[in-house]
Amino acid sequence: MNTSHPQALQAFSRKIELLLMFREAVRWISVWLFAWGAIVLACRIAGQPAGGWLAAGLGGCLPAALGAAWHARRHLPAFAHLRAQYDRLNVCGGVIMTAEAADMSAWESRLPAAAVPRLRWRGQRTWLLLLVAALFAAGSLWLPDRFNPVATRQTIEIGKVVSELQAEVKTLAQEKILDDRQAETIQQQLARLQKDSSSTDPGKTWEALDHIKAADTGVAQEAAQEAEKKNAALTEAKTLAQAMEQAADAGMNAATAATAAADLESLLNAAKLEDGILKGQIPPELLKGLNGLNKAQLNQLMKALEANKAALSGTMGDLARLKLIDADTLAKCQNAGSGGDPGALADYLAHCQGGGDPDALFSWLTHPGKGGPGGGGPAADMTWQDQVSEQDTKYQPHALPPATKLDHAQLVGVSRTAPKLNADALASTAGALDQAAGSGGSAQVQTVLPEQRAAVQNFFRRDP
Amino acid sequence: MSEANAILKPEELQPAADLARQTLAQLDAILLGRKELHRLMLYGILARGHILFEGLPGLGKTALVRTVGHILKLDFKRIQFTPDLMPGDVLGTHILQETATGKRELVFQPGPVFTNILLADEINRASPKTQSAMLETMQEHCVTLLGTTRELPRPFFVLASQNPVELEGTYPLPEAQLDRFLFRLLFDAMDAAVLEEIIAGRRRGELPAPTWQMERHELESLFRTMDRIYLPRPVAGYIARLVTATHPESPEATEPVKRYVTYGASPRAAIAIAEAARAHALVAGRPSVGFEDVKAVAQPVLNHRLILNYQARFDRLNAAKLVTDLIAQLDETGLNLPADLELANR
Repeated sequence: MNTSHPQALQAFSRKIELLLMFREAVRWISVWLFAWGAIVLACRIAGQPAGGWLAAGLGGCLPAALGAAWHARRHLPAFAHLRAQYDRLNVCGGVIMTAEAADMSAWESRLPAAAVPRLRWRGQRTWLLLLVAALFAAGSLWLPDRFNPVATRQTIEIGKVVSELQAEVKTLAQEKILDDRQAETIQQQLARLQKDSSSTDPGKTWEALDHIKAADTGVAQEAAQEAEKKNAALTEAKTLAQAMEQAADAGMNAATAATAAADLESLLNAAKLEDGILKGQIPPELLKGLNGLNKAQLNQLMKALEANKAALSGTMGDLARLKLIDADTLAKCQNAGSGGDPGALADYLAHCQGGGDPDALFSWLTHPGKGGPGGGGPAADMTWQDQVSEQDTKYQPHALPPATKLDHAQLVGVSRTAPKLNADALASTAGALDQAAGSGGSAQVQTVLPEQRAAVQNFFRRDP
Repeated sequence: MSEANAILKPEELQPAADLARQTLAQLDAILLGRKELHRLMLYGILARGHILFEGLPGLGKTALVRTVGHILKLDFKRIQFTPDLMPGDVLGTHILQETATGKRELVFQPGPVFTNILLADEINRASPKTQSAMLETMQEHCVTLLGTTRELPRPFFVLASQNPVELEGTYPLPEAQLDRFLFRLLFDAMDAAVLEEIIAGRRRGELPAPTWQMERHELESLFRTMDRIYLPRPVAGYIARLVTATHPESPEATEPVKRYVTYGASPRAAIAIAEAARAHALVAGRPSVGFEDVKAVAQPVLNHRLILNYQARFDRLNAAKLVTDLIAQLDETGLNLPADLELANR
């Protein structure tokens, strides 16, 4: 297809325009990448947290390119110059230039054939500059922190974990599971950890946090065990109190009532309500005269027992909410001592002559059944003859191997199910329990690396 | 653009271009082996400029001038410049004569300068006084004596020659006079083949008579056509930049110019290039001047207008070489594309 000189001139002009805009865009993007890389580097050195840097860098390339195109377009060579260049390159002897002033169509047939001059961009240096800029920007963005002398002194982000632990300690202190001094000490430790944590050695920080977490969990577990016992005692005491109230109405004799009152006192003493996490919530005047309580007093006692149970349940609920105890433990605590049938016991007490048997009475409470004069007694306790005494027993000393990996072992959580006993492999293969007979389960010897910790914690934080 | 100055149409330009080519053909046929020189000579004539020939004796300078005079059918006179030549010998003088009434009065006797083509042979042998007498004639085309100004016949060309070797007893032309010459053309030694052809074909070196001569009206029409050759603005800009770049203090001056040139070319040089480029375009059959026309004539226009320093002499550099380098390095259009962008024609 034959092209006319005006068409070729327009094409030549467009070609130069586009190439100049593209060239300028590449140069501006290079400059932007250098600038952005420098800013990122400065921010990283200054310890600014990363956030959207990559998007900002890549997003900035487009405005840079547009700005470059606009700038190049504003500084394009004059069309008269382009026309002159076209005339020169096509050896038109000034005829194309003269067309600016007069109609030269009569001369067009005498000109050489129109052709768009070739335009070549030797852009190796520009492309190299862009490559270097991109590498610099990438290096600034992904430079490991260990090469950053300032960033290595930065703290790591443990605020969330510390907040959780602070909440746990606060709850434990409120529930009197931890005393105020201990709680204050732990809170100070947490604050110091948050302040002094270093990104250079995050493992140390995480280990300290794990230690506090383990301590909190341990205290909570102990509290749960204590709460379970107390709850069991309170439940049994309440069952006995209910039975005593009903039996009194059914004509329980004084001797039986005295025995029941003694058992009730024994139960309340065993619960040790005045110690630990539940301190003396039973009115003392009731505790002093358990034998001879009237119906109203028994009701008051039962309400007090119920209130204590509710308080214990609430405390355990708080611990479970903080994941300090698991759901099974919570259920175990809340259901401790349940199952006794106050009606059957009341029937027993009402028909019991001569004061009754304290052991049998306890059996009613601890081994619920449908016994009694009408329905039979509870299941009998298993007893052994010739009980073996441990007195003067000698044990063969057995030295355990030196603990090596156990130094790094740590509690990462409590499994929901009981460890399974593998009867064929009771011996531990490594660590402190090497060659020792295991009683069930296995020692946790795997070291959890800092980067795995979050995943492990998430696993145990799952709702049941 | 008026009708008279309108861009030439092909049919208008063609006769003039044919005339110019025919003139060249006659010159080439009569004087062998000097085709390029003949072209430059014709450009000079068409541009109505004076030309300075430089070359050793016997190379055909006078023959060329004489032949041009014959072909163009112009009045031709020759002055052999000598140290004792006086201005009156060139311009003419007043002679006391007795009239028919017996009264005596001064009558002007025109000198050889009153001609169309004046061959000033070995012009550098005349004294500065006589050389300067040529100044007015070359620039103003007139002679002023005793307060009376007399026009020279039109066209008027001074075709001067000088011998670059025998410098003893010569007076180098002053810069002002050199600047009045459109071209300085160098006569090189001839090729052996050309010499052989001359010896074999021409007894005693006699030149054959031209087979065709240009009529006066044809010459005038040629000049009128020359006046209508269009000089585009970018080309005018190129000429201006080229002349400016011969000055060492110019921003576009090349490194050799800065190093070797003391004074660059005058504005008259720019005018001379423009006119000579027009002539080049006419002979090429184009209605407008292109960059290639400028390049073709820039060197003979500028080579006698640059004043070089002693360093140039030590380094054996001449003005022609400097101008050639300058033309090669100077961007014609002033497009000023970035250095990494490269343009090329097909």
